[in-house]
Amino acid sequence: MWGEQIRMAMESLRANKFRSLLTMLGIIIGSSTLVAVLSLGNALQGQVFESFIDLGTRRIGILPGDPDAAGARITSGYGLLSIKDYEALKTMTATYPDIFRVIVPEVSIKVRARAKTTEIDALVVGTGEGYQQVQSVPVEYGRFFTASESAESARVTVLGGLVVEDLFGKGPENKAAAVGQTVVINGQSLLVVGVVKAAGGPFSSDQRILVPAGTARLRIAGNQDLPGRGLQMSSILVGLKSEGKVTQAEALISQTLRDSRRLAAGAVDDFKLNSPTQSLNILKGINGAITGFIALVAGISLVVGGIGIMNIMLVAVTERTREIGVRKALGATDRDVLGQFVIEAITISLIGSLIGIGSAVALVLAIAAAAGLGMILSFPAIIISLVFALAIGVGFGYYPAKRAALLLPIEALRYE
Amino acid sequence: MSTPVISVSNVTKVFDGGDNRVVALDNVTMHVDRGEMVAIMGPSGSGKSTLMTVIGLLDVPSSGRYMLDGIDTSTLDRDAQAAVRNQKIGFVFQNFNLLPRLTALQNVALPMVYGRIPPAEREARATAALVAVGLGNRLKNRPNELSGGQKQRVAIARSLVNNPEFLLADEPTGALDSRTGHEIMELFRTLNRTQGITVVVVTHDAEVGKQMDRIVSLRDGVINMDALHDYYGIATDDHGRVRTAVQEVVNVG
Ligand SMILES: Nc1ncnc2c1ncn2[C@@H]1O[C@H](COP(=O)(O)OP(=O)(O)O)[C@@H](O)[C@H]1O
Ligand SMILES: [Mg+2]
Repeated sequence: MWGEQIRMAMESLRANKFRSLLTMLGIIIGSSTLVAVLSLGNALQGQVFESFIDLGTRRIGILPGDPDAAGARITSGYGLLSIKDYEALKTMTATYPDIFRVIVPEVSIKVRARAKTTEIDALVVGTGEGYQQVQSVPVEYGRFFTASESAESARVTVLGGLVVEDLFGKGPENKAAAVGQTVVINGQSLLVVGVVKAAGGPFSSDQRILVPAGTARLRIAGNQDLPGRGLQMSSILVGLKSEGKVTQAEALISQTLRDSRRLAAGAVDDFKLNSPTQSLNILKGINGAITGFIALVAGISLVVGGIGIMNIMLVAVTERTREIGVRKALGATDRDVLGQFVIEAITISLIGSLIGIGSAVALVLAIAAAAGLGMILSFPAIIISLVFALAIGVGFGYYPAKRAALLLPIEALRYE
Repeated sequence: MSTPVISVSNVTKVFDGGDNRVVALDNVTMHVDRGEMVAIMGPSGSGKSTLMTVIGLLDVPSSGRYMLDGIDTSTLDRDAQAAVRNQKIGFVFQNFNLLPRLTALQNVALPMVYGRIPPAEREARATAALVAVGLGNRLKNRPNELSGGQKQRVAIARSLVNNPEFLLADEPTGALDSRTGHEIMELFRTLNRTQGITVVVVTHDAEVGKQMDRIVSLRDGVINMDALHDYYGIATDDHGRVRTAVQEVVNVG
């Protein structure tokens, strides 16, 4: 019976190919949007995760205070971080080895960098050898700089994945060959000791030139000192022993900074603390909101598709009133007729959904291949699409089918 | 004597369209025994089709009783009616009523689909039925590839395929030329002679009526004659007395 009804449904779709395709359009668009958006949204989220994953969530970033924040004093250099803050924190963290794992500065300097004949704008980040413990910097060729190089402010550098491509050319051979070459920044020649794997995403080190903090200060920055406070830092990163210590660590850091900056008891913090759990959640929230919104649009388009199906099924029931009468005369029960038309509606919505999923899969795979993202298809999205299409076929097909089922055989047969 | 296949007792059918109340059948009583070939005749509007829809369980009478093969049809719900139509009645229509998208074979198999017969058996039986009506070489043709006579043969094959208690044909030759119509009537006759199939034909055509064994004549919803006749056009009543020639019945009707 079922096989027969599916066959009959296909038959009637084939008889009205163009009409069926138009009817399916809403479902096609809805399904493809759903699968494409959920797959790409997942991939983006996956990337965000990946840039944090090595660090776990055991990290706190210390950032300059916001001079526009309520309660901020209007002074020049308000809230900026300096090496004094860093030194104070370093001393403090050393006394709590069970809480803190590592502390490194980030000294950011915009520069022109040159290798052989190529010259580009780049961002130098001066930091410590412990940087890898708080930032995702997977070294692809060569190595990261060492503690002694850091201590000596050696003329060494580790290049980000995109920087190396810009300076030395694309492809693994060029990247590998970059190790051992020199990069000239502000007249200083630096030896490339390592190249970081390109990770993509907003948090990677792809666009950065990493050097020891001392090198940045002594050889590149010129004078980037804050009056009376020493070298300016764009941020300070603190690695923790475990995630459970975040609250404790934040309290210690705040206290240390307030003390070293001599803030009065009532004054607001003139610095900001930033744990990855927070930013990860914010990003996930934004990504989720965007994904959710587009998924909602896809859902609406599916529902509109469902209304289209209902419309065409009502037309079909009217067109085929005589057929329904004949079937009933031959012994079709109300349920047989109901089933036939519901299955026809489901067939339209499922085929539409499959076409939509097919095109979305092609699109997503093409994007994944172009962006080197690997397997990012969202199988749950495909399942959701199919289930949704099934539900829409049943939901919007039921009423027309019920009307067909309740036709009296004599009325249906007499219909012209 | 076995129970009649069709037993209509005091059946009245009223169409109540507000102001215009039409009594299409007025206290009609008739019985058809197994193996009979009955023509229901009468002029247009006399109630032939209405009687046929009642007998075919396509509509219910306003009053009276209809026993089909011993079953009181007033006790049947919609599903049971569908099952009786499927198992006990074979319909043949004036305009064939084949489904245009299905092949001859699929059309003939349709009653077996609703009879929940497995596909392999459906195909075998539908093929045999089409061979029996002389269309063994037209199995895969769709209705628009068949002539009128061939379409009606497909419809007859379809009506026979579930081995019904009787065939019910409404003007089966109405859309055919007289020669093809005659051939269709010959087919009914052959099925009746060789397989004992009960045939009830609704017609206003005297030529068709002549080819049946018994004529029930309707006028204004009332049976005004119910008689046997021999092949030469002489109608007799239940007691074998000559009543009138068929031609006259029709003319009077
Ligand atoms: N559905 C209906 N509604 C109202 N009147 C009807 C309906 N069907 C038939 N009639 C009337 O009942 C009478 C008998 O009709 P019918 O059985 O079709 O006659 P026949 O088949 O002998 O031409 C006619 O007067 C016809 O107009
Ligand atoms: Mg009629």
